[in-house]
Amino acid sequence: METFLQLVLTGIMVGSIYALVALGWVLIYKCSGVLNLAMGELTLIGAYVSLTFYTWGLPFPLALLATLIIGAILGILTERIFLRRLIGEPVLTIIMVTVGLSFFFRGLIELIWGTDTRVFHPPVFPYEPVRLGPVVIGQVYLWSFIAALALLGILAAFFRYTRWGLAMQAMADDEMAAMSLGISPKFVYAAAWAIAFMAAGVGGSLLGNINGVNISVGYLGLLVLPAVVLGGLNSIPGAIVGGIIIGVLQNLAGGYLDRFTPGGVKEIFPFVVMTLMLLIKPYGLFGWVRIERV
Amino acid sequence: MRMRLPSGVFYQTYRQDQALWPTTFVKLRMWGLLVFLFVIFPQIASPYWLSLANLVGYTILSAMGVQLLIGYTGQVTLGHAAFIAAGAYTCAVLVLQYHVPYPLAFLAAMIVAGLWSMLFGLPSARVKGFYLIMTTMAAQFITVDFIITQYVSRIGERGHSFSLPPGTLSIGPWVIQSDRDIYYLMIALVTLSVLAMTNLARTRIGRAWMAIRDHDIAAEALGINIVAYKLLAFFMAGVFGGVAGAFWIANLYAVSPEHFTWSWSLWLVGVILIGGLGSNYGTIFGSLFMTLVMEALRNIVTWLTPFFPSLETSFLFVKEAAFGLAIILFLLYEPNGLAYRWWQIKNYIHLWPFSYE
Repeated sequence: METFLQLVLTGIMVGSIYALVALGWVLIYKCSGVLNLAMGELTLIGAYVSLTFYTWGLPFPLALLATLIIGAILGILTERIFLRRLIGEPVLTIIMVTVGLSFFFRGLIELIWGTDTRVFHPPVFPYEPVRLGPVVIGQVYLWSFIAALALLGILAAFFRYTRWGLAMQAMADDEMAAMSLGISPKFVYAAAWAIAFMAAGVGGSLLGNINGVNISVGYLGLLVLPAVVLGGLNSIPGAIVGGIIIGVLQNLAGGYLDRFTPGGVKEIFPFVVMTLMLLIKPYGLFGWVRIERV
Repeated sequence: MRMRLPSGVFYQTYRQDQALWPTTFVKLRMWGLLVFLFVIFPQIASPYWLSLANLVGYTILSAMGVQLLIGYTGQVTLGHAAFIAAGAYTCAVLVLQYHVPYPLAFLAAMIVAGLWSMLFGLPSARVKGFYLIMTTMAAQFITVDFIITQYVSRIGERGHSFSLPPGTLSIGPWVIQSDRDIYYLMIALVTLSVLAMTNLARTRIGRAWMAIRDHDIAAEALGINIVAYKLLAFFMAGVFGGVAGAFWIANLYAVSPEHFTWSWSLWLVGVILIGGLGSNYGTIFGSLFMTLVMEALRNIVTWLTPFFPSLETSFLFVKEAAFGLAIILFLLYEPNGLAYRWWQIKNYIHLWPFSYE
């Protein structure tokens, strides 16, 4: 029972990071219809940028802030240079441009930072675990959870109460109506990419704190795809719930199923869940059902 | 009887019109090409060029199934390496573990890869577009990263990667060993595959696939059984993948899960996008272009290494970034691919000197 609680709690905490990255993904999809397969590389960039600032001696919160700023700049540049020309193109074209972006970014990341695993040194969070009732949890997980929750809260408030957030919501809801009300689609697309880069950046630096930073952080960023499929592609609450569920299921699979196999269940279990979900309920828990009888 | 008038060639029967090589000129050109590929090239080429040609051939065979699914049927797949891996491992395990002759193992690889691909095509009955992309991606991770790495690689306790003893692969008395042998095998397989693909595309099956690609609802209204044809497309794509996989065994005499990464799946999609969707020219041009450009890049890097010693290690990263950039630039500036450019050049020459319009 304690193992179970332990696994679920850690799962929720890692899942909250996935939720953060998944939120960025859903935002891009909702606002501009781009299905982004470069999310893993965006997390990688975030992880490496924050690590670099941290090793330069910036305190971690400041490094995180700098990551956010760099992420926003990169997001706006990416949208402006590559994605804006693709509005209205077929799905395959857009997806493959994001695949091209992912190769491009990964190549650049490896050129700049190499492929060795790097760790945040000195460690940002103390190693001593915290006791929550019967469960023992690493402080890294706890703080990541808090940071992810805080950012999710900030983003939710941004969408609900600010002019820009409302403009983005309107755009996602009905493009024509939003444009006729004077909302600039260019601005909204750029903002969506900037926020996605920022969310992925924070997610990446948190994940980097847990396991160290190497190319495999990019794989963790890929896990947002099962998360968003589970939650429904165009639902922001779905992204958060999906991310947390994927985190929990992944941990449970690692804890209980790994002993029946030679290993590696933890890595692929989210994709198994995703395939089953696609067969049973393709539009996810909260997604809009599009009825086509073919 | 075919009428040759100054204004062009006119056919008098449908058989002539539908012929694979409709005019004498095309016939001569194709026979010339075949003679060059089968007889002249292997005689004049150095081992370096032969191995490069083998790499191009492997890319063509691998990309053929992707072209079938994406270019002809419109079912986007991002996990084709999984099916190539299924073929390669079927072939390797049969040859190594059960001492099955290579041609039989080859056939088995085709069938297993086809069925495996069909299994992951099943969701296409229910979902399409992005959701289908997700299932093929799941196929990649489940097949290569889990089943093959964790289970299949352990068969026979050979360690992480299988390597075949030299001389194991033979067709009858012909032992496939040198680069030249591999080249002959490759060129035969590529010719047969291209022929099969061309003929699939111009018969009922291919037309049904293209109808599904262009408008699935209209295709259904025309009486095409969409699910059956989609599954057939996945099966055939898997069969081509199996051919590629079984050829890979002969090419390298070794196989390892690292040969079939997700990057390779994406690379193949990039190859057909750069080459052009929906034609064999696309597959061939894309494979030639990507392989040769990357090889040129490597030569440049090797040449520059004395001046910048760190470049040697970072070639892989340069290659990745260059590939990403190439896909993006092609999609932005030449979305119809190299095949379209080829068609334009051909038309320009055909119509010369009246090449307006």
